Amino acid sequence: MTEQRKDILDMLAAGKITAEEAEQLIAALERDQAPAAAGLDARPKGKVKYLRVVVDATDNGEPSRVNVRVPLQLLRAGVRLAALVPPQALVKANASLSDSGMPIDLTQLKPEQLEALVEHLDEMTVEVDSPDATVRVFCE
Amino acid sequence: MPQLVTVRVNRPDRRPIRFWVPVLPVALLLFPVVVLVVLAAIVACLMFRIGAVRALGAGWRVIAALPGARFDIEQGRTAVLVAIR
Repeated sequence: MTEQRKDILDMLAAGKITAEEAEQLIAALERDQAPAAAGLDARPKGKVKYLRVVVDATDNGEPSRVNVRVPLQLLRAGVRLAALVPPQALVKANASLSDSGMPIDLTQLKPEQLEALVEHLDEMTVEVDSPDATVRVFCE
Repeated sequence: MPQLVTVRVNRPDRRPIRFWVPVLPVALLLFPVVVLVVLAAIVACLMFRIGAVRALGAGWRVIAALPGARFDIEQGRTAVLVAIR
C-alpha cells in the first residue's frame, strides 16, 4: 500500500472525508500512477552509455575488424561544439556537400534537433549484412 | 578528464608495441604548448566572431567526455588499439 493511499484511508477512518470522496481520491491517485509506470516500462534497459560500431569484413581474403566504442557523452559534447560553427562555414560545407551529390542544408540542422537525436540513439540498432561484410551499430 | 591512454600496435613478424600515456603528467610537461594552443584558439574565436568562453567550454566538455572511448582496428595480422580511460 502506498503512503498516499494509506493517508486517504486514515482520513476516511477519522471521519474527515466520506467514502465517496475517498473513492474519488484513490481513483485520482491510480490515474496519476498509471502513466508513471508506463514511462518506466517504455525504457526497461536502463541508461545506455556507449555507441558501438562493429564492422567485420573480408578484404582480399584477409579478415578485418573495426570495433569502436564512443561514449554518448562525447557525442553530446560534439553536438555542442558543432553548434559553434559559424554560418559562413556552414554555407561552404553545404556547397561542398552539394558538389558531392549530397544536397543537405546544414544551416537547417538545429543543435536541439541533434541533441534529441543523440538522446534517442539508445533505441536504435542498425545491422547491415552483406556477403563480404557485417556492420552493426548499437548502444550499450 | 582522461587519465590514461593505452596504445597497442600488433604487426606481423614483429614484436607488438604497447605503451601507456598518463595524460596529466604529459599535459603538465607540455603546459607551455597547451597555453599557446589555448591562446591560438581564443584568437581564432575572435576572428570568426565565436564566443571564446563558449568555445573553450565546449572543447573542455569534449576532452572530459573522452574516457571510455575505444578504437580497435584489425586487418589480417595487423591491429591497432587506442583506449582512453
